[in-house]
Amino acid sequence: MSALIEVHNISYYYALDEHQAIPALNDLSLSVDRGEYTVVIGANGSGKSTLARHLNALLVPATGKVWVDGLLTSEPENKWEIRRRVGMVFQNPDNQIVATTVEEDVAFGLENLGVPPSLTRQRVDGALRLVGLEEYTTHAPHLLSGGQKQRLAIAGVIAMEPSCLVMDEPTTMLDPRGRKEVLQTVREMNRQRGITVVHITHFMEEALLADRVLVMEAGRIAAQGAPVDIFGGDLELEPLGLEAPAIPRLARLLRAGGLDIPRDALDVGKLVSALC
Amino acid sequence: MRSITLGHYLPGNSLLHRLDPRMKLIILMLLIAALFMVKTFLGFFLFGLFVLTVFIFSGLPWRYFLRGLRPILFIVVLTLSLHFLFTKGGEVYWRWGFITIEEAGVYLGAFMSLRLVLLVITTLLITLTTSPIAFADGIEYLLHPFRRVGVPGHEIAMMMTIALRFIPTLMEESDKIRKAQMARGADFETGNIFRRARNMVPLLVPLFVSAFRRADELAVAMEARCYRGGENRTKMKELQARSLDYYSLATASGLVAAIVMSGV
Amino acid sequence: MLIETKNLSHVYMPGTPFQVKALHEVNFVVEKGAFVGIIGETGSGKSTLVQHLNGLLKPTSGEVLVDRQNIWQEGMDLRRLRSRIALLFQYPEHQLFEETVYKDVAFGPRNLGLEGTALEERVRYGMELMGLDFETCKDRSPFNLSGGEKRRAALAGILAMQPETIVLDEPTAGMDPSGRKQLLKQIRKLHREEGMTVILVTHDMEEIVRSAEKLYVFSGGRIVLQGLPSEVFSSSRYLRELGLDVPPLADLLQSLREFGLELRTDIFDEQDAAQEIIKTCKKRGR
Repeated sequence: MSALIEVHNISYYYALDEHQAIPALNDLSLSVDRGEYTVVIGANGSGKSTLARHLNALLVPATGKVWVDGLLTSEPENKWEIRRRVGMVFQNPDNQIVATTVEEDVAFGLENLGVPPSLTRQRVDGALRLVGLEEYTTHAPHLLSGGQKQRLAIAGVIAMEPSCLVMDEPTTMLDPRGRKEVLQTVREMNRQRGITVVHITHFMEEALLADRVLVMEAGRIAAQGAPVDIFGGDLELEPLGLEAPAIPRLARLLRAGGLDIPRDALDVGKLVSALC
Repeated sequence: MRSITLGHYLPGNSLLHRLDPRMKLIILMLLIAALFMVKTFLGFFLFGLFVLTVFIFSGLPWRYFLRGLRPILFIVVLTLSLHFLFTKGGEVYWRWGFITIEEAGVYLGAFMSLRLVLLVITTLLITLTTSPIAFADGIEYLLHPFRRVGVPGHEIAMMMTIALRFIPTLMEESDKIRKAQMARGADFETGNIFRRARNMVPLLVPLFVSAFRRADELAVAMEARCYRGGENRTKMKELQARSLDYYSLATASGLVAAIVMSGV
Repeated sequence: MLIETKNLSHVYMPGTPFQVKALHEVNFVVEKGAFVGIIGETGSGKSTLVQHLNGLLKPTSGEVLVDRQNIWQEGMDLRRLRSRIALLFQYPEHQLFEETVYKDVAFGPRNLGLEGTALEERVRYGMELMGLDFETCKDRSPFNLSGGEKRRAALAGILAMQPETIVLDEPTAGMDPSGRKQLLKQIRKLHREEGMTVILVTHDMEEIVRSAEKLYVFSGGRIVLQGLPSEVFSSSRYLRELGLDVPPLADLLQSLREFGLELRTDIFDEQDAAQEIIKTCKKRGR
């Protein structure tokens, strides 16, 4: 595998006033491979969203460099190509839908790129089919459920044929069904279409789906590894403002109580087979 | 929440729905012009007949349609009573003390009200059968020639689209905030006009804060999707006028011409 | 305070093409001092129900009774009622509007006619219950608080009315894990130490099983399940069909039981569950 995104020693500050600034990212380095599914976790204010916005040139680092597919994000002429290649889905489902019908919203990005109408039509229909919204083509977006709105946002990005999907807490405002819909859609994009995914979340369970989990704290990467390295019991999450999901937590208690539980018993299925 | 249905687009596939929005806008302007040239009740009758025909073709449910008319009832009543009371001339129909209702008042009141009602009906026929985005597209196109003199057609259309997109969201939000403040004992219903205006603060401040937050987030999301203004932008649905559109335009033009020439 | 609904039905936008029947013949009871959980998918009617409890919505048919009085009868003071049954909407920080936290928290009690020291007393009470330091926070702008603090300030504004019952619609939505945990702890404290009746609407099953004594499950505008958490979560398959989650512990214990382990499945506390599993496994000689 080769790296799609390279982040070298970036720092970023939010200005409070003329003299003060709060550091949001602190000398952070990262490399994301093609086709990788990375989940980023961390307490509020740990810099997750700021990092996400550096990956598609919405923000450029104060110091350090970010490359996407060899394109440097701090070069203004690369901006639009980078944003096409790295699509972004945001937290609030309502505040990223521009148009008044589902199909028009999916077309929005393609129209911005100057894609000819017939090709746009084709890609819009394809993207809507991929996220399972083909029956809602002419619906008004405000009548969709939260999960459907987020899938619409994903379709809008996918239609632009990106290499990478960056999702900034896409499930935070959804109910369990919506959450499942979105996670399943994203997984399909990743597994079947080879799209690289960087997924930021507050729900620890979602990190279990990842190839790699990044734990952020105070603008740095505090830990990273496969889910089992993060939740298998060796890493203390509480000082980082986090908590392992229920099953790994229980597995840890069982281990402490003298049962022989393998480290990778992170979900119900695996823990059951470890116990029976 | 009820007013949400006012002028709300109803999807459909009628002749009227399928017309090119640019053409619909031109036709609407022609019809409005025609309406202001009508001089007699016969003219209104004929115009009404025409509108009724169009309505039948539109396939709109009449109940829904009539509800759209309800808000202008007040204005109609006002127009009627003002004319009845203050326009004098001709035969006196009714007298009570110094109040009289005279022929000219009744005539003008009825005339103005009819014009108003027909105007709203015509506009509703168009707005109820045109998707807002098609409307915005039509306006963008019609304004395109004025670009050189600085009319930002694309920006106006984009603003309209976004406004239309967020009206339902903000309506829902204001309903929620209103209830949230009522749950804290806020009173939006009693008191004089000044008191009521002041009592709106707990509703309006959060609504503005929220609208700005949404605008901010939307701007970022649009940028992330490569939005950079109208330059080099394409449209998935290019507007295409077909023979149907030209026939409709011809019909509307014919109507205006007939009204002007016959002097009805 | 006893809250009941009798055959409560509600239809939104009746007589339009957008007509929706949101509640259908709902009979719901909350006893004084109870901690009741309401779960259900978005659109299942739970938000519509809670807005009836303090008279923000009027029933299309059926009744809402508070202490056996119909709240829509002649002479009922609905504003008074709303201070007794306080409702906190989802993302309550969106309702903040004053220049200072003090003024915002004071909005509710001021509407009840309180002034001067009595008012300050209430503001202090609300803020302290929510863990906001009165002296340091009172003069700050609510818009400059952190996300978690904003939410607690909004909740303080409700508590400052000294309600007997609080109804919370997804109070932890959008918060990070530590924020969620802290807020829930404070809500449980309101129930235990202040003796408030709590009605909690949520999607988060883990948070509700740790707190609620009785659960109501909504689907399609009706109550489809009700009872103790252990009773409700024993129908895990049905809950999944309704688009709801099952708390992972309940899911695990039930799966273990299906695999033949003889253990209790009505445990919702981690430590207790671990004890039970260890005990059972050791008994089996592992």
